[in-house]
Amino acid sequence: MGVTTEGKPAAEEKSLRPKVLVFCCNWSTYPGFQLSRLGEGDEGDREPIIITMCTGRLDPELILEAFSRGAWGVFVAGCPPDECEHNGNYKTRRRILLLKKTLGPLGVEPERLALEWVSTGESAKLAKLVGDFTARVAQLGPL
Amino acid sequence: MAKPKVAFYWCASCGGCEEAVVDLAEDILAVVGAVDIVFWPVALDFKKSDVEAHEDGSVAVSFINGAVRTSEQEEMVKLLRRKSGLVVAFGSCAHLGGIPGLANFHDRKSIFERVYKEAPSNANPGGVLPQTQTTVDGKELTLPEFHDTVRTLDQVIDVDYYLPGCAPPPDLILGAVTAILEGKLPEKGAVLAPDKSLCDTCPLNDSKPEKVSLAEFKRPHQILADPEKCYLAQGLICHGPATRSGCGERCINANMPCRGCFGPTKGVRDQGAKILSFLASIAGLEGEEKMTDEEVGRLIGQIDDPAGLFYFYSLPASLLKRKNLRQGA
Repeated sequence: MGVTTEGKPAAEEKSLRPKVLVFCCNWSTYPGFQLSRLGEGDEGDREPIIITMCTGRLDPELILEAFSRGAWGVFVAGCPPDECEHNGNYKTRRRILLLKKTLGPLGVEPERLALEWVSTGESAKLAKLVGDFTARVAQLGPL
Repeated sequence: MAKPKVAFYWCASCGGCEEAVVDLAEDILAVVGAVDIVFWPVALDFKKSDVEAHEDGSVAVSFINGAVRTSEQEEMVKLLRRKSGLVVAFGSCAHLGGIPGLANFHDRKSIFERVYKEAPSNANPGGVLPQTQTTVDGKELTLPEFHDTVRTLDQVIDVDYYLPGCAPPPDLILGAVTAILEGKLPEKGAVLAPDKSLCDTCPLNDSKPEKVSLAEFKRPHQILADPEKCYLAQGLICHGPATRSGCGERCINANMPCRGCFGPTKGVRDQGAKILSFLASIAGLEGEEKMTDEEVGRLIGQIDDPAGLFYFYSLPASLLKRKNLRQGA
């Protein structure tokens, strides 16, 4: 099921904008985000971002809640493997992988969940990853 | 003073919850002496019309076990709700959906196709599927409608309390009955069991290492488990960390890891997510920083049917349920 906006009025087209939620690590990804183009412009004009103190603190229950409340996709950005001070990112790597294997039978395509490593200085990379992810999720359409 | 009226009913269940009541053994005599059982299809010959004859709200408490799968079950629990002061969801299936709730990985159409057409033991050349109405020799026969979805009891009617477990153990049942008779009930919506995780009360807890790390996952049939040692430490998946205690550690004492029938502790909205979370945390914990993505993938890949495993007893009560449910179908 894809999103087709052909022939629809502009207002409706806007309402079909993919609902993507982004979880960012406070210590690496978020500073990068502040510098990235995602941080520019109107708050309502970009993907909502929730800051976590470490991706290792991101409870899978919150990701499931996001989907149950209408998110089309959930993007998790954490410190690259050897840059987390708490090794929380290794747990997140395993949790997201296991979550992706669990989502299918619950009616959510695993592609709607993504985990990417983003370092402090990689604001452009973050913006591109979120943009690409949002485009892929737009193809899948709403849940 | 007239004795309080009590009703028991069963929906989509196995009968184990009925056994649990009988398992009160001689204590059941005290219960029967203190209450007037007005409805109990498995044991007593009361009919639906007998229930209808009671004034609304005049039955002190209805203990209802089983998930809700058919129109008949829905009709009966709504009737019992109207007639009862209190409704207790009795057992895992009424509480969270239980084993019958695993059917929500499918829908009515695929279940009927499988059960009545594809299953190799079938002889159904006409491809006949259950109908709510059919005419045989000029007579109209009816069957309850098989719903598309299994629901927990509180997704159908208002529930006052929950007695968890597959099946609830006798001490908790007796405790609940006593609390009701004495009017010493906790706040509405409470689960009538301790709010601790199973690990807290597990007899094997002393053998649980400070830091559990699983280098590989094993299944109960693959090893001869040591009955004296924490199952997680043996590489077996045990739901103890994410499951409420109060069961009497019956599975643990039978040399079987916990499967989560008591549901989560208070405040958890999705038991499966909690099981997933702790399991992923301890999988390959030792040396995690040295593992490649491929090695992590292989380790996680050893967990067979993760959705079925994590939602063994709680799929209908889960946050995601399944797609067509979220869409309100």
